[in-house]
Amino acid sequence: MSGLRAFFAGFVDRNGLPVAIYLGLAVTIWVFLLVALPQLAMLDFSFRHNLPPSKMGGPEDVYTLEQYRYFFLGSEIGGGDWNALDIGVLFKTLLAAVAVTLIDLAICYPVAYLLAHSARGAAGRLMVLALIVPFWVNEILRAFAFRILFGATGVINEAGMAMGLWSAPIDFVGEDVALYAGLSYAYILLMIFPLYNAIESLDRNQIEAARDMGASRIQVHWKVVIPYAKPGIASGSTMVFMLTAGALAAPQILGGPSNLWFTQIVYQWFNDGGNWPRGSAYAIVLLAVCIGFVMLMMRVFRVSIGAIGR
Amino acid sequence: MTKGPALLLPVLYLALFFAYLFGPLAIMAITAFNSAGFPRVSPWECLTFGWFGKLAQDTRLLEGIGNSLIIGVGVVLIAVPIGLAAALTLSQVGPRLRASLYTVFIAPILVPGVVIGLSTLIFWDRLGAMIGADYDTLFYDGIFLTIAGQVTFIAAYSMLVFLSRISRFDPTLTEAALDMGATPTQAFVKVLLPFMAPAIASAAVLAFLASMENYNTTVFTVVAESTFTTVLASKVRYGLDPSISAVAVIIVAFTLIAATVFEMGKRRQTRAASGLLALDRPVLRLIAHPLFVAGLMAALVGGVVWTGANHDSSVCEMQVLDDKRAVQERLEQERRERIEALTPAPSAPSAPTQSAPGGAFAPGSLAPGGSAPSPAPSPAPAPAPSAPGGAFVPGALAPGGAFAPGGLAPSGSVDN
Amino acid sequence: MTKDITLDYVSVQFGDYVAVDGAHLTIQGGEFFSFLGPSGCGKTTLLRCISGFQEPTAGQIRIGGKDMRGIGPNKRPTALIFQNLALFPLMSVADNIAFPLEVRGVDRKTRRRRADELLELIALSGQGDKRISELSGGQKQRVAIARALAVEPDILLLDEPLSALDLKLRQHMRRELRAIQKQVGLTFIYITHDQGEALTMSDRVAVMSRGRIEQVGDARAVYDQPRTAFVASFVGENNALTGRVLGRENGLSTLDLGLPAPVRVATASGPGAKLAPGAECMAFVRPEALRPCAPDAPNAFPATVIREEFEGAQRHLVLETPGPGPAAGPAAGPAAPRELRMTLVNDDRDAAFGPGAAISVGFAPDMACALPPGELASA
Repeated sequence: MSGLRAFFAGFVDRNGLPVAIYLGLAVTIWVFLLVALPQLAMLDFSFRHNLPPSKMGGPEDVYTLEQYRYFFLGSEIGGGDWNALDIGVLFKTLLAAVAVTLIDLAICYPVAYLLAHSARGAAGRLMVLALIVPFWVNEILRAFAFRILFGATGVINEAGMAMGLWSAPIDFVGEDVALYAGLSYAYILLMIFPLYNAIESLDRNQIEAARDMGASRIQVHWKVVIPYAKPGIASGSTMVFMLTAGALAAPQILGGPSNLWFTQIVYQWFNDGGNWPRGSAYAIVLLAVCIGFVMLMMRVFRVSIGAIGR
Repeated sequence: MTKGPALLLPVLYLALFFAYLFGPLAIMAITAFNSAGFPRVSPWECLTFGWFGKLAQDTRLLEGIGNSLIIGVGVVLIAVPIGLAAALTLSQVGPRLRASLYTVFIAPILVPGVVIGLSTLIFWDRLGAMIGADYDTLFYDGIFLTIAGQVTFIAAYSMLVFLSRISRFDPTLTEAALDMGATPTQAFVKVLLPFMAPAIASAAVLAFLASMENYNTTVFTVVAESTFTTVLASKVRYGLDPSISAVAVIIVAFTLIAATVFEMGKRRQTRAASGLLALDRPVLRLIAHPLFVAGLMAALVGGVVWTGANHDSSVCEMQVLDDKRAVQERLEQERRERIEALTPAPSAPSAPTQSAPGGAFAPGSLAPGGSAPSPAPSPAPAPAPSAPGGAFVPGALAPGGAFAPGGLAPSGSVDN
Repeated sequence: MTKDITLDYVSVQFGDYVAVDGAHLTIQGGEFFSFLGPSGCGKTTLLRCISGFQEPTAGQIRIGGKDMRGIGPNKRPTALIFQNLALFPLMSVADNIAFPLEVRGVDRKTRRRRADELLELIALSGQGDKRISELSGGQKQRVAIARALAVEPDILLLDEPLSALDLKLRQHMRRELRAIQKQVGLTFIYITHDQGEALTMSDRVAVMSRGRIEQVGDARAVYDQPRTAFVASFVGENNALTGRVLGRENGLSTLDLGLPAPVRVATASGPGAKLAPGAECMAFVRPEALRPCAPDAPNAFPATVIREEFEGAQRHLVLETPGPGPAAGPAAGPAAPRELRMTLVNDDRDAAFGPGAAISVGFAPDMACALPPGELASA
């Protein structure tokens, strides 16, 4: 306790009272009022029955596992069987997010490497700027662009048919091709920049030394560049994975009619179903599964969370 | 460096990559100038600026943009100071506390936006219910909730900006200021803040843009209001319309102009720093000045707008309409002839009619069937839901019936 | 006006690590005082205690008789010149210098006038509007001094401010610092690991090692009458010979240093005088105290020239002599040969001593000293 007091005394000494109050207040408001308490409120809500406002706080307002039970087992009438639909959607969402992450990693690694080690000065800066520009166009418009591209009368279908590659329009949207392409496109920048930052700080001499000692180009990447860029790879992959798994706009716009993203189910419980507790439970499931997956991957690849955001 | 194939491959790859990056945007931009009612490049009908005009009359979109601007400013005003405070706090604590604090601070970036939106909505709703606040108070106000929700993670973005700047700050400067007799507050205001100023500017721009383009969180927190992105999303989901492309064109144009001006400013700065600023060539200096470039760009945009306003595509469009009518008549004619000549055979009329907007992707398809509890989508294009766009109109969350499971849309707020 | 600074058994501990161990001394007002020691000896920590960035864990610091405990750096009559100078890069030269006045609420006109005066003092008149990045290393140095003087401190603390400069500039700045100190008449407390700086500029020097103050004295005392083995080996070059005391009479001790014959060393005062017969000891003979001599002269012993290092005005001869080498200890393996350095003036008199030559060398008893064994400064 006295240690804590000493810490605060030191904090005030170092910053002066006004600045110390500003720092303490801002961080407290953020961490508690904006981050922690809302998450707790949602967690609490997910363990409740869906009641009209008049009954809230009344005798029926007790804690229940009903909402989670529903996610795993489906409606009571179904009885005992797994809720294959929702669990299936969750797995599909996770798998798709992993796929999108890997696609982005494959696309971005060469670009980041080339930008970091070949393009310097004005040309390099121009290319970095060119990377940012598409990102300023919002997610919905980017998804819209892919609708135009992949639609039945879209550019790709028209071009393909004009070249005689296929004769009838291919349903890219229904087949989810449009969705995966759109998602990969949407978060590409979040992959490139962490990679770029990590690779850029690698001393070029290390690459040349490795080459000099007889390593092939592939070996240089595998043994020198990639291990060095691991924090960047982890950071980019985590961001792309989390954002893809949590994406809502792109699946709404690009998803086929018979194809749901897990966030869409959450959205439906909230907005269309009017069942907030169940929506909360589903959101908690999404959050827990995603964080668990990211933690697992971090453990497998031995990176610390401190790498994220660098 | 060796030229030839070794260099060719990377260049080719980069070219492909940037084509991938800009191709979809370019195609979308082109569709904004095609008079066809469905956003498409081919068949090209007429060059038109009409879709932009349509935007200017879209009051719902304009209202959304207005709300977005208010929210954006609010987010900047709150998220940037929080991000700065978080970064400063991190820079002062020991390595172990720093690691755990960093995890806490970075978490909002990793939490899906949907979850942040939900939790914000629930938290303030519960808080409001707890103190018995009315539905017209802050707790149920879409603008306030959206600001709160967006600040949650945008503060973390700006923290990252500040952290990278602060790592280059020499802490002995603060010590020097203290040693020279400054109070800690004076040292903060006169030494640290000026050093952080560029980062504050870029964090503000970043926060504003992130706020403007956020959808996942906003769609939950905005409740009965609407923002730029939620209006855009419902437009896109209602049906595809080239005026959406026109929005993209405007954003891309803004971005390109800002980027050019920024780049010019940057060049000028580096040149000034290295003493290479062409002092003896005033003409060159003027041309390279960011303000001049900005002016040039503004003139360019003005010119395009003027041309657009004065461009009349009606003649061309009439022509296209006539052509279509002619084609239709010809088809009709052929059909009749065929009926007369042979047994009737079904014919498949091509292009012009298949651009029915919405179709399979109309919002209705995602709405739960009637009042059934299961959110399972109806696989077939279901008949449209009762109220137009009921599924996406935030009115469903309007405070009136927020907690009544059945009482979704309180009347009045549905018809946008 | 000038204030004494008293360190009263000041200690600083970081966890288990003792950075400063019972520093006890008084620095007179108006003095140019240096703390000299290798890196990690605690001198910077001590300086931070005096300036107020660090509270001592034990002991007291008094400035002008006033206890400084709990008084922040901004309230102390000290000004610190940082190792990296810590000039504010976003302010002009004049704004940097006027910063201490600005934070005290002095009006703009007075500030400008005072800045101009100080710029004149450091011979940078008319350069007040320049940016810091436009200055040369030496100019930055002087601006840092001017900024510190603007505080009108009683004591100026300097933390190795010359270490970033090249040799020529460093030597020039030594003279300049000394001149400024004389001109303004302030107490200067100077931290350095460079003994040349400490010895040339200071009125007095405190030699530190491992958190302890080993010796305080003027340059001559520290050089000629070291009180510990560390000081003897750290300040200037020295040949250390380990051995044993045989006897003592008339201020002269007879030592067995493993040489063919015992030698005599003056131990009239200092720690050497307390060495009793039979005690282990270390004798220190400076390279310039060693001289070629006749084999039967007092304190003469045989040596073989191994190599010569020619340095223009001086020649250094590396000699091998009988006796235990530098690493002689119970744990050491076969003892390395004992090497001594001898410095000769390059006047052709002793030109014949090329490598391989067997010669006789010796030293005058009062040009060497005997001390209790102790830790030597690492090279």
